[in-house]
Amino acid sequence: MTYVDMQGISKAFPGVLANDAIHFSVEKGTIHALLGENGAGKSTLMRILYGIYRPDEGKIFLDGEEVEVVDPQTAIDLGIGMVHQEFQLVPSLTVAENIALGHEPSRYIWIDRKEMKARIQEIVDRFGFSINLDQPVVELSVGAQQYVEIIKLLYREARILILDEPTAVLTPQEIERLFSILRQLRDEGRTIIFITHKLREVKQICSRATILRRGKVAGSVKVDATSERELASLMVGRQMLDIEYERSKNIGEVKLRLEHVRANDDRGVPALKGIGFEVRGGEIVGLAGVQGNGQSELVDVIGGMRDAEGDIYLGSRDVSQLALRGRRNDGLAIIPEKRKEQGLNLATDIAENVIATRYFKPPFSANLAVRPEQAERFAAALMDRYAIKAEGARSLVSTLSGGNQQKVITARELADEPDVLIAAHPTRGLDVAAARFVREELIKRRDQGGAVLLVSADLDELFALSDRLLVMYDGEIVGESRPEDTSYEEVGLLMAGHTHD
Amino acid sequence: MSVETVSNVLFASLRVTTPLLLAALAGLISQRVNLLNIALDGLMLFGAFAAVVFGALFGNTWLGLLLAMLLSTLITLLFAVVVIEFKANLIVAGLAVNILATGLTSYLLVVLFDARGAYSPEGLESLPRIALPVIDSIPVLGDILSGHGVLVYVSWLMVLVVAFMLYRTPFGIHMRSVGEHLEASETAGIPVKRVQYIALLLGGALAGLAGAQLSVGNLTLFTDNMINGRGFIALAAVFFGAARPGLTAIGCFIFGMFEILQFRLQTATSIPAQLPQMLPYLIVVLVLTGINVQKRRRKVVKVE
Amino acid sequence: MTDGLNNAEGRDVEIRRKRFTLSDPLKTTLVNFGKVLLTLLVALLMGALVMELSGKDSLGAYQALFRSSLGSRTALANTLLASTPLIFTSLAAAIGFRAGVFNVGAEGSLYLGGFAAAWVGFTFTELPTLLVIPLAFMVAGLVGGFWCYVPGVLRARLAVDELVTTILLNYVAILFTEYLVNGPFLLPGVANAMTEEISLAARLPRLAPPSQLNASFIIAILAGLIMVFIMTRTRLGYELRATGDNPVFTRWAGISVPVVIEKVMFIGGLLGGLAGAGQVLGVHYRFVAGFSSGLAFSGMTIALLVRNSPFGAILASLLFGVLRSGSATMEIFSDVPRDLITVLEATIIFFAAMEISISFFRRRRHER
Repeated sequence: MTYVDMQGISKAFPGVLANDAIHFSVEKGTIHALLGENGAGKSTLMRILYGIYRPDEGKIFLDGEEVEVVDPQTAIDLGIGMVHQEFQLVPSLTVAENIALGHEPSRYIWIDRKEMKARIQEIVDRFGFSINLDQPVVELSVGAQQYVEIIKLLYREARILILDEPTAVLTPQEIERLFSILRQLRDEGRTIIFITHKLREVKQICSRATILRRGKVAGSVKVDATSERELASLMVGRQMLDIEYERSKNIGEVKLRLEHVRANDDRGVPALKGIGFEVRGGEIVGLAGVQGNGQSELVDVIGGMRDAEGDIYLGSRDVSQLALRGRRNDGLAIIPEKRKEQGLNLATDIAENVIATRYFKPPFSANLAVRPEQAERFAAALMDRYAIKAEGARSLVSTLSGGNQQKVITARELADEPDVLIAAHPTRGLDVAAARFVREELIKRRDQGGAVLLVSADLDELFALSDRLLVMYDGEIVGESRPEDTSYEEVGLLMAGHTHD
Repeated sequence: MSVETVSNVLFASLRVTTPLLLAALAGLISQRVNLLNIALDGLMLFGAFAAVVFGALFGNTWLGLLLAMLLSTLITLLFAVVVIEFKANLIVAGLAVNILATGLTSYLLVVLFDARGAYSPEGLESLPRIALPVIDSIPVLGDILSGHGVLVYVSWLMVLVVAFMLYRTPFGIHMRSVGEHLEASETAGIPVKRVQYIALLLGGALAGLAGAQLSVGNLTLFTDNMINGRGFIALAAVFFGAARPGLTAIGCFIFGMFEILQFRLQTATSIPAQLPQMLPYLIVVLVLTGINVQKRRRKVVKVE
Repeated sequence: MTDGLNNAEGRDVEIRRKRFTLSDPLKTTLVNFGKVLLTLLVALLMGALVMELSGKDSLGAYQALFRSSLGSRTALANTLLASTPLIFTSLAAAIGFRAGVFNVGAEGSLYLGGFAAAWVGFTFTELPTLLVIPLAFMVAGLVGGFWCYVPGVLRARLAVDELVTTILLNYVAILFTEYLVNGPFLLPGVANAMTEEISLAARLPRLAPPSQLNASFIIAILAGLIMVFIMTRTRLGYELRATGDNPVFTRWAGISVPVVIEKVMFIGGLLGGLAGAGQVLGVHYRFVAGFSSGLAFSGMTIALLVRNSPFGAILASLLFGVLRSGSATMEIFSDVPRDLITVLEATIIFFAAMEISISFFRRRRHER
């Protein structure tokens, strides 16, 4: 029985048609996958259902009746709940306070804590969560925080639960636990929409799947009757998902070496607990691991932006005490994880962005002055070489697409043919063409003799590109292998903290 | 140093802390919804001005007090609209309020009373003092705690009220939520703008009260530069107390004590007046520095 | 968030300051100038409203104001005179704001620098003009620079909020110089607190007597041009613009953000010190307590109005000079207290702050 029915939904943002006349319907009491690559339009569609966006065209029906979801409050009233990729939890408030946020039961002007906790405890007991209601949410593990988000939905008696990439930050064991809870909810008669781009999970838990591709519906299928391969091809169209890259033919000397590196994260908690590895020229070393196990801190440390103990060598030179500029001068380049925050100055143009790491060197700089014409010429050359689509060197970087923005960063970092390149999640959020471009540049750098450290959450990417794979868990390197000699399952286990014994 | 001197100093410190405390609570509330309120100085000036002017106009100090709160709340409304609706830069708008306050109060002082720099209306009574019933008779403690002006006790009460509001009422939860995680508040259906407006306006009223305490709480006198940066000292107290009511109050008391100490230094010694006067400001800068040094030290935990 | 929203999100950039990119078309400059004039007009209207409401003749007041600031050769000279310190202080504010640093400490630097210049002037009485004047300016600049450098270091290395510290330190500087001028350096036998006069050699030549307009105006213009050069064509300029736009990115590019902040705060203080020196060596010929009537705050207003463009700051300082030089006469002839100018300044800030965000606001409406 069709419960959620979205008909003819279209939504455009400046420069991109995120949803193009989408028909999306879900049956009651099912777990329905909304499948697609990054940028396909899944989040947008669900945000429309949840009232964060208003559609340009189209109608929404719930249980046969047309509804207008004007804001999240309306959605909540209609029984729709959403767990976002980035948790919506207020750090200093307790679990109970977060769950009841906005709907606190009150007596006169103060909060009725007993009543609040009673209602929540009932839900907690029913599903067997083990959670302390009075703990400030900031102290919980990521998996536990996600439970809090789900309990929030149940507290508001959501009949329709939308989960946006819920497994992105979970270990395989936590994923299993989540799935069993979802099955329990489904058996209760609730309807679950599961946004993901992971085919394995779709097969595991969903009964139907709607595949979006570039803003349109590419297919709507019964999961049991469809293979992973078929799902994949619906997701990407005629292009093949997997491209074979050749392994390196020429591995040279050690260009990057870490020894006994220890560092804390921003909260003062140890994040790196004695890391040591090396990357050679002519090799791509892939670093796998669930986000939050120290990868970001590792990149910070290699860049000299985080205090650390231990030794870091670029070539034979000890750079542990050297600031980032010194390391860059020694041949280090970094494609940072957060494109807009760390990689670009969105307030200015391409020329200003690409000279950020070289404005003080000739020919851009002579005596005191920085020469704008040189910057423009350099930028134009880069735009040509890397096929960056924009009006000119003076185009504002903020007007470029995500793919082109990443190209600007890549161009800037690769222009000097660095000895060591750190690429942190370089294809995140990019469309297939842009991602392929970036990957090819990494391969090119490797083939020219550079050492590349690829930090990524995408196992497909890691297996395809790496000459050697490292797995990181809880601030340590827990495994090392060539991709040919291992499997997704083994890597997954290591990522989850299982050790071979 | 006799017991009497010490209790004198403490008594005076408590009195002087009051405007700081009220202003700091205003700053605290704003800080909790993540809207740094730089305009405290200006709002206090408006409050001080209105209390004297309206008090004189109507011959009633209480009316002056009320209208002082009203005026500073209205100015805060202007500030709030500019910042919340027009998304203007918080700091810039706050500075504008401060500049407006100095200009407008000086202007009106001349235009209304033909007075330049200072004005003390004839016959306007300052706010009454209260002798606390039981506490009054306790030997030393009574001298310190009893006999203060009304607003002193009001300010103590406000610390409890603000703490209660922040931690025990839905509105307080909403405020903290808005301040810590805007998006979560929106998705939870909290009317963010409404919360921000109310927080700012409450703060505005408190700031007006703070200014009134300065102008009619002890003597009845308005001078051009009577706020003298207290709004920023109050803000420093909020940083000191990490926007928690109890700690912030302690910070205010520390700074208030220094204000009294510098005054005593002036009268008790032959040091020229300005040097001790510099003391409170320098202390605040040192305290702020110290807080951050502490924070940094805690972060760089030696990795074992 | 992904979903091809990168374009929309990318534009979701707060445009709090004019993007002074390396090649600014003439059209944008003209448009910005128009916006400045419009804001001034609105402020004048507000001022008129305040005057009328308090029973004053606004038309007469403005007539008096503009006549005495633009109406004759001497009037114009006086306007340039009034704009001189504003040029310095607005540049000081602009360079700070452009780097994302709220350096409000120019007032303190002004007093300390002014005193330092006076001290050089009445201490080194044997030195000739060509030595003593540069020396005085140098000392004033260094003292002023240092005064803002300290809170700069606190901000750069310890993240101590520089707005609060510089404001508090202003009070300290004012009190300290007040102490100096009332104590060890007091000129005996006078009612008003002032130091002895500086030597004749230390006085800046007058440019257009009987006006007090002096060579400090030229120095101010020079400073302005140097600042334009620094902001647009030097490495430091690139660094401070990048820091103001996105300090995280700047750090990842390998630029030391703390060093940039410290340099910027120092330069701001230096300019403040020069402003004070200009007033002492060019107008008063001694240090007088309270000689600055909110010069630093007016400088901030100007910087905000012109969105931190140093060239715009020079021009706008001239406009503000008109207001300031005319206000004294306005007070005498129209009985309107000169504090009205302060009210005008506040109105300007409000409108400049709102206007900047209106375009941002308009774009936001399309997002839903």
